[in-house]
Amino acid sequence: MARAKTTLDPFNAIAEPKRRALIEALVGKELTVTEIVELMGWNQPMVSKHLSVLKQVGLVSEKKEGRYRVYKVDADLLKIIQNWVIQFEPYWNNKLDNLEAYLNQIQAKEVNDE
Amino acid sequence: MSNANEHTVEPTIITREFDAPRQLVFDAWTQAKHLKNWMFPQPGWTNDYAIADIRPGGSDLYKMTAPNGHEMWLLTKYEEITPPESLVFRQYMSNEAGDILPNPQRPNWPKELRTTIKLEKIGGKTKLTLIWQPINPSKEEAETFEASRAQHGNGWSGGLEQLKSYLAGL
Repeated sequence: MARAKTTLDPFNAIAEPKRRALIEALVGKELTVTEIVELMGWNQPMVSKHLSVLKQVGLVSEKKEGRYRVYKVDADLLKIIQNWVIQFEPYWNNKLDNLEAYLNQIQAKEVNDE
Repeated sequence: MSNANEHTVEPTIITREFDAPRQLVFDAWTQAKHLKNWMFPQPGWTNDYAIADIRPGGSDLYKMTAPNGHEMWLLTKYEEITPPESLVFRQYMSNEAGDILPNPQRPNWPKELRTTIKLEKIGGKTKLTLIWQPINPSKEEAETFEASRAQHGNGWSGGLEQLKSYLAGL
């Protein structure tokens, strides 16, 4: 089993699309599990499972508010991860999209210039 | 072949067809005046090339600036350039002096990654093949690269785009 443990690596934790969706839903908000269940349309065990992974890597934190626990995203850690992703550019697809748009643009310009 | 510390990893291969002649695609990869217009994470960023010595054995050093003003530096070392069909290079996180920076957020990410670009002429279009492979990775580096493989291609596009937009505004 070559796969790194999800719980040890925030990069792998956010590789799962559902967890990215969950992070996006939580950005700038504090939500209870019940609210997340309603918002995402997932069942409660699924929400709890993904929250648990995100908590273990420190991307999501929980606090008690009255009778409820509310969850929020640690934007600083997210930003560190994102900076790293951008800086080291491990994933090429966006750049190839940019290249394609740029090639189309300069070729259209050449035609217009003629 | 006999080095016990050597761990082989399959390269990640991405192919893409561009509706542009091969020479133009090659120029877009090897001239700073073109690279500055697309070699960044997403539209809205700008690139400034401090060094653009793009030839075998040469380097470039450039600054990427995010829409929110955040700046980052990247260093590229070119190994082979064969106009108009291929180039081979390695890229590194850097500072503005061109010093290669360690990667504290992800210590097991491969330190050396080779990118090979091959361009094939298909009529008036160009097929690009991008081959991305760690060089002499440690066991941990090989595993980290392998574990992230699903994201090397399409995996990041949808969800992470919105996240990026959000973070760019922070």
